[in-house]
Amino acid sequence: MEEFFQQLTNGLAVGGIYALIALGYTMVYGILRLINFAHGDLFTLGAYLGFTLLVSWGLSGVLGGLAVAGVLILFAMGLVAIAGCLLERIAYRPLRNSDRLTAVVSALGASIFVQNAIMLVCGARSQVYPTGILPTTIIPIFGVDVSAMRFLMFGFSLLLMLLLYGFIHKTRLGAAIRAVAIDQDAAKLMGIDVNRIISTVFLIGPALGGAAGVMVGLFYGQITYDMGFSFGLKAFTAAILGGIGNIPGAMVGGILLGVIEALGAAYISIAWKDAIAFCVLILILIFRPTGILGERVAEKI
Amino acid sequence: MNARIIDHPQFSLLVGVVFFMLMAMVPTGLELSGVSGGGIAQLDVLNKIGIYAVLALSLNIILGQTGLFNMGHAAFFAVGAYTTAILNTMYQWPVFSTMPAAGFLAALFAFLVVMPIIHLRGDYLLVVTIGIVEIVRIALMNNIFGITGGPNGIYGIARPALFGLVFSSVKLQYYLIWSFTGISLFLFYLLEHSRIGRAFNYIKHDDLAAAGCGINVARYKLMAFVLGAFWAGMAGTLYAANIRTIEPMSFNFYESVILFAIVILGGSGSNAGVILGAFLLVGLQDLFRGFDSARMLFFGAAMCAMMVFRPQGLLPPRRRRYNAWQLVGKFASAIRRSYPCDEDKRNDR
Amino acid sequence: MKKTFSLITVMLVSLLYTGVASAADVKIGLMAPITGAFASEGQDMQKLLELMVEETNNSGGINGSKVELLVEDDGSTPRSAATAASRLVAKGAPVVIGTYGSAVTEASQDIYDEAGIVQIGTGSTSIRLTAKGMKRFFRTCPRDDEQGRVAQETLQKLGYKRVAILHDNSAYAKGLADETKALIDAKKSAEIIFFDALVPGERDYSAILTKLKGVNPDAIFFTGYYPEAGQLLRQMAEMKFSIPLLGGDATNNLDLVKIAGPAAEGYHFISPPMPADIDNPAAKELIKAYVAKYKSQPSSIWVVLAGDAYLVLVEAIKHKGPDAGAIAEYLHKDLKDFEGMTGKISFDDKGDRVGDIYRLYKVDEKGNFILQPK
Repeated sequence: MEEFFQQLTNGLAVGGIYALIALGYTMVYGILRLINFAHGDLFTLGAYLGFTLLVSWGLSGVLGGLAVAGVLILFAMGLVAIAGCLLERIAYRPLRNSDRLTAVVSALGASIFVQNAIMLVCGARSQVYPTGILPTTIIPIFGVDVSAMRFLMFGFSLLLMLLLYGFIHKTRLGAAIRAVAIDQDAAKLMGIDVNRIISTVFLIGPALGGAAGVMVGLFYGQITYDMGFSFGLKAFTAAILGGIGNIPGAMVGGILLGVIEALGAAYISIAWKDAIAFCVLILILIFRPTGILGERVAEKI
Repeated sequence: MNARIIDHPQFSLLVGVVFFMLMAMVPTGLELSGVSGGGIAQLDVLNKIGIYAVLALSLNIILGQTGLFNMGHAAFFAVGAYTTAILNTMYQWPVFSTMPAAGFLAALFAFLVVMPIIHLRGDYLLVVTIGIVEIVRIALMNNIFGITGGPNGIYGIARPALFGLVFSSVKLQYYLIWSFTGISLFLFYLLEHSRIGRAFNYIKHDDLAAAGCGINVARYKLMAFVLGAFWAGMAGTLYAANIRTIEPMSFNFYESVILFAIVILGGSGSNAGVILGAFLLVGLQDLFRGFDSARMLFFGAAMCAMMVFRPQGLLPPRRRRYNAWQLVGKFASAIRRSYPCDEDKRNDR
Repeated sequence: MKKTFSLITVMLVSLLYTGVASAADVKIGLMAPITGAFASEGQDMQKLLELMVEETNNSGGINGSKVELLVEDDGSTPRSAATAASRLVAKGAPVVIGTYGSAVTEASQDIYDEAGIVQIGTGSTSIRLTAKGMKRFFRTCPRDDEQGRVAQETLQKLGYKRVAILHDNSAYAKGLADETKALIDAKKSAEIIFFDALVPGERDYSAILTKLKGVNPDAIFFTGYYPEAGQLLRQMAEMKFSIPLLGGDATNNLDLVKIAGPAAEGYHFISPPMPADIDNPAAKELIKAYVAKYKSQPSSIWVVLAGDAYLVLVEAIKHKGPDAGAIAEYLHKDLKDFEGMTGKISFDDKGDRVGDIYRLYKVDEKGNFILQPK
């Protein structure tokens, strides 16, 4: 039982990261019906920007550990948001009225481009965040030792998700985003500037991905130029699992995927862990063809 | 004048014949031009383009013709390649005799895994096919059934031989691969212009209307997958015989992505476009070798740019045209069936 | 349509012209993963060899002829490796160094063999590569079974009775794990209570470590690569799971310490000795020059093994000239106890490197790799 709880906390921590990245996929999908394959690489970009800032500014000497983390996350979020916006302008906006798959291929190209740009600038070798920024306190609960950082990471992911949820459902801009997601043409007739809304979504989604990137860097230390691929694929799977285009769905999907992986590794096989996760995904989709919470927008009636 | 030639019903066949005649002359041309090594490096790239072309043509049935988002085509390719490798190295079957088995097993696999998910729409199907290709790769890695050799894969696959002729040199492989490409292209041309091909296209453009016209949509979708997988399995045989060492990483998600991109870039549904797409996407990766470690950067940028500047694809399929008067009498029912296909409705939205 | 044809023509023409080689005296090919999963290894191999070629040429070349290094990217995949090999054959290199990864090497072996080219593998440890009777294939890296033997002996010597073996399902790590397991089982020196693979490239291995903690081993032998080993150490410390972790030569990388931080202290791994630890001033100078030029150490021992391949080739060419057949014969018969960067180098009939190469290293509290006495 103790091991089960331990595995559960392991799964929740990873799931929180998946969920945060999944939000970026799901927001873009909800509004453009586009799988933004470059999103995983924006997550990597966030991790690298955080690293560069940390090393070049020498922040760790000036501020306390958690303050450094906060500053880094904010800066990385801002910069990745700009990158996301540029990406949309260059690679997706010209294709808005074309076939959907055209934009998917463009996204794949952008993904290859961003990943290799990071490799060329920062090198193919992995970079490592300096250790000792974050406290290594351990909190025992239910007889299980859990690092305080895992709580913090999970809590911070949850906080960002709740903020986003509140933003989408309680503000005017949020309402406009929902309107554009439902029907672009009708939204336009209601006087909503659709281009601006789409740009906003491409600010928020990548920003969340960038935050996740810094968190991974701070907590796990090591970052590589190609890590966006596996994280991106998992997060995308999580978004589909929860019902893509659906914000609570991305959260549920991400956390569920993390837990499935941890429990699959614990009780079935470590080497087959990812295959187990995909099998569960396929099974869920067979019985619920639009994910657990369902898709907000029907593709076609 | 120009337009009239293009509109001729046999025009695309003519282009194909000319193209393959040119391709047949390439090895000799390379030798005469005096490039180093008798052009084996160039032929090797062309061989890879050929294999990708066959694979992309087979994906084109599923993705381009029927409009089913399949981003896991490498799974079927892998089943074929491993079938050939196992039958050849463990049971000493000659390579060519494994080809039908490779195609059949890939098709059977497709039938079994796709049947329960064929009702999924658009992107859900896409992610499930990604899941399938990843599961297949992980299964191969973990040496499933104890016959796939795990991460090391299988080596020592024999060269294919036909009537005593062993296809050992790069040049002979070239003729083998491109003959197979030619045959595939011709068969796919026939398929496209058959009743089944029309049904596929109808489903792509509007599956509700297709169902309304009496087409069994689920059955035809499954048929597209099975046909595509069969051909991908046979391409697996070609690949295994060409490279002679296969391992799980050769069939990862990234391979599926490249195939997917070839079909969409080519024009989603046109066979000629797919061939051109294979030349561009596989050839470009090689042409950019001069950029050293920046080669994939340029490749990614090129992929983006090609889509942005030509969103409809390089050679989008032309609208089906029928001479109604000719059809009357011959296939009276065909007119009714084919008429709504001309409605060039956009896929979704 | 016209556009299409012109596009195809342009592509064919450019394909034709990429293969044209320029004339030089001695061509040495390097096939390495410049892009793809192992890009960091390949790029460093290229850097090190470019430096070495530069030094050779500055000191007058080999018997007066300059060396030209021809680099081809194998993209870390068998498919690109076959293309890279064909290109090196077309460019007329009589000898080729490379590559990293057994399956990738395997895809190129036939092509070189058929063209009569001498190939020296640098990171290709699978046993079967030299079991095919190829006369012109060599490798500077030891085989999996050799490392497995040393791993078994080390584990026995350290007195671990309940051993967990963890690999990462890469061809290399799986090979080493299998060899070690087979030897331990054969000699009954320990009980293997856990044998499984993690997924490389992930960040969180706490699920695996929790499972390992549950089976309570004396030690864990991890056969994979340094990033995962670093993460394992780091997360073991976080979980307060303090049993020894041992690794193979793929963890011989200074980045391990950067990733693991203070948790790296006490980590053991087996590896061919590094240039700093052998009595070869030339090798030490070379690494010093490398650090001065590129501002970092070579990323791993495999890079140094590529340097060794270059050194033996230069030695052979010095005696026999750039003729593949003569070079192969020289390497088989005449090259004995050559002073390389990882110790003495000789090859047996099969092309495998002979001798007792592996040493045990331990990480000290400052994060330095300390060679342990035999």
